[in-house]
Amino acid sequence: MTSIQKILLALLLVLLIAVPPFLGLGWQNALINVLISSLFALAFNLLNGQAGLLSFGHAAYFGVGAFAALHLMIAVEDGLFFPTPLLPLAGGLAGLVVGVVAGYFSTMRSGVYFALVTLAIAELFHSLAPHLEGTFGGEAGVSSMRMPWMGLGFGTIIEVYYLTLGWVVLCGLALWAYTRTPFGRLTLALRDNEQRVKFLGYNAHYAKVIVFAVSAMMTGVAGALLAISNETANYSLFSGSVSAQVVLQTFVGGSTVFFGPVIGATVFTLFSFLISDLTRSWLFYQGLIFVLVMLYAPTGIGGVIGHHIRNRRQLDLAKIGGPYLVALGGGILIAAGTVFLTESAEVLFGQDYAMARDGASGGFPAYDLFGLSWSPLNPVTWLVPLVLLCGGVFILIRARRVIDRLWARKDEATTADMTVGAGGKE
Amino acid sequence: MNEITSQTPALQLSDVSKSFGPIDVLQGLNLDIRPGERHAVIGPNGAGKSTLFNLISGMFAPSSGDIRLEGNSIGGLSPHLINRAGLARSFQITNIFHRMTVFENLRIGVMARHQVRYGLFRSAAGMRRVNDETADVLNRVGLEARAQSMAGDLTYSEQRALEIGMTLTTGADVILLDEPTAGMSREETAKAAELIRKVTEGKTLLMVEHDMSVVFSLCDRVSVLVYGRILATDTPERISANREVQEAYLGQEGAQ
Repeated sequence: MTSIQKILLALLLVLLIAVPPFLGLGWQNALINVLISSLFALAFNLLNGQAGLLSFGHAAYFGVGAFAALHLMIAVEDGLFFPTPLLPLAGGLAGLVVGVVAGYFSTMRSGVYFALVTLAIAELFHSLAPHLEGTFGGEAGVSSMRMPWMGLGFGTIIEVYYLTLGWVVLCGLALWAYTRTPFGRLTLALRDNEQRVKFLGYNAHYAKVIVFAVSAMMTGVAGALLAISNETANYSLFSGSVSAQVVLQTFVGGSTVFFGPVIGATVFTLFSFLISDLTRSWLFYQGLIFVLVMLYAPTGIGGVIGHHIRNRRQLDLAKIGGPYLVALGGGILIAAGTVFLTESAEVLFGQDYAMARDGASGGFPAYDLFGLSWSPLNPVTWLVPLVLLCGGVFILIRARRVIDRLWARKDEATTADMTVGAGGKE
Repeated sequence: MNEITSQTPALQLSDVSKSFGPIDVLQGLNLDIRPGERHAVIGPNGAGKSTLFNLISGMFAPSSGDIRLEGNSIGGLSPHLINRAGLARSFQITNIFHRMTVFENLRIGVMARHQVRYGLFRSAAGMRRVNDETADVLNRVGLEARAQSMAGDLTYSEQRALEIGMTLTTGADVILLDEPTAGMSREETAKAAELIRKVTEGKTLLMVEHDMSVVFSLCDRVSVLVYGRILATDTPERISANREVQEAYLGQEGAQ
């Protein structure tokens, strides 16, 4: 890590410590979820980004961690002495144990077969959990309460927030340190070329089980933190959507960059916190964001940022900043047009509107959107999104041409630099 | 060969056969590699040279027969165990870690040799002996200037040198090189042969090689593999004078 990165990280940590007490409860809770999903995504990406093993069933270890923590919390309620701040250890241990077993079987294969086995294991938990009253509490799930410890009540959200922050920072640093160990380097080698690893004297299966178990352990800690925050969990934690969510977050954030998954987890969690109250289509928008990022920035947000940081010396930021702003404007216009069409569709195909049409004896009454009234039969209603979309696309294409030209010029500059370097003038 | 029967061969294949379904690729193959010798396997395409290497290095298990490394049976063991027993191989198609630096490519093997295979509680940068030894291998294969380059960005002949370097890192005494000069220009081939001679000093070398000039300049003995059998094993000079060999293999090349 360069010193600039260290300073930025320290600054971020200071903000995460200092700001939340001044925020409302809703935001405090949202930040807890951001932290938990960040750790979840980092743990997932240990397997995906570093070992090259794409798991479609990480909900299993997240859920196992949550239930383990809840059972320990119940035991504490019943009089067991156990410090509340150390509860996530239960989740980590459960994740580790289940991870060793699940990892042993799933890492016998790589690629698609690995992904399918992980998917099957998570589905196994998802379908068994509702029937296992004792362990997973049936369909209702398991609930408990955070008990006070050494003067800390853990009754307020801010206390839970700091507990979560501590654990997420600790585990995040541990995962980062992991990449610097000999085994961390071996993990990258496994991703690049498993066969060669075997011929260099390593038991590749054994190594993959360890990576899997570490990933499952950290995922279990994240699950435990969620259980501590919610004080309840049920079998839906094992569902495919939980497994899918962490995949989406990691890829949008950028799986090739260590902190990329944190970006993705933050964006998606805040997005659902801010948007899910405004529109029922928020999942659609989330999917749209994922598709667009995969199509136009396959390395994710983190990858794009990293690309700019790597090339910062060759890039004329003053020159490229303008076109970027124009492109952003184009993007906003396209977004506005898309949102208008999506929200209109939601209204027009909704039940309320069907009733309104009945009331208007089969006609097409006007509907309210963004504080204005729009008539479906008025061409202006459809002209607005059309102009937004076309204008946005036009601006974006123009801006992109300029941006591409500037990047191409930078590439030429780099080649020239290298020639100079070879001539010994550097 | 009688004078060395008392000595344990570095590598010994006894009656080794391998079939894939109905196809017999190797049939009752016998081969003794003496300790410290440089031994080439030549033969036409499809003779079973790659299969032979894959059996010795543990990619496949032999269908029947025995393979011994310094007297210990290794036939059918997994690749990592054979490597730990003291045998390392390179690959015909470059088989490196493309998205890691050249230094790290070599360090993975050195780590295995120093038994830090699964070290999770120390820093990779802080392993003095491992890093020193990696730098040493790096120098021996002449890639010190490219230490921090991504392995995938190297030129073809640099990648081939790295391939040989990785084979050396685990400290094996028996080295298998699978067509180390394939696809190289004449000049590059000569350099590669010199490199191989240098780095396999004091080790036992078994190599598949098509370039007869490399075989002649480098190897003590040659085995000719044709249709899954060893046709002859002898010095390069006597092999090239062998009428049977000329008909089966060298004659074809000479006619070209």
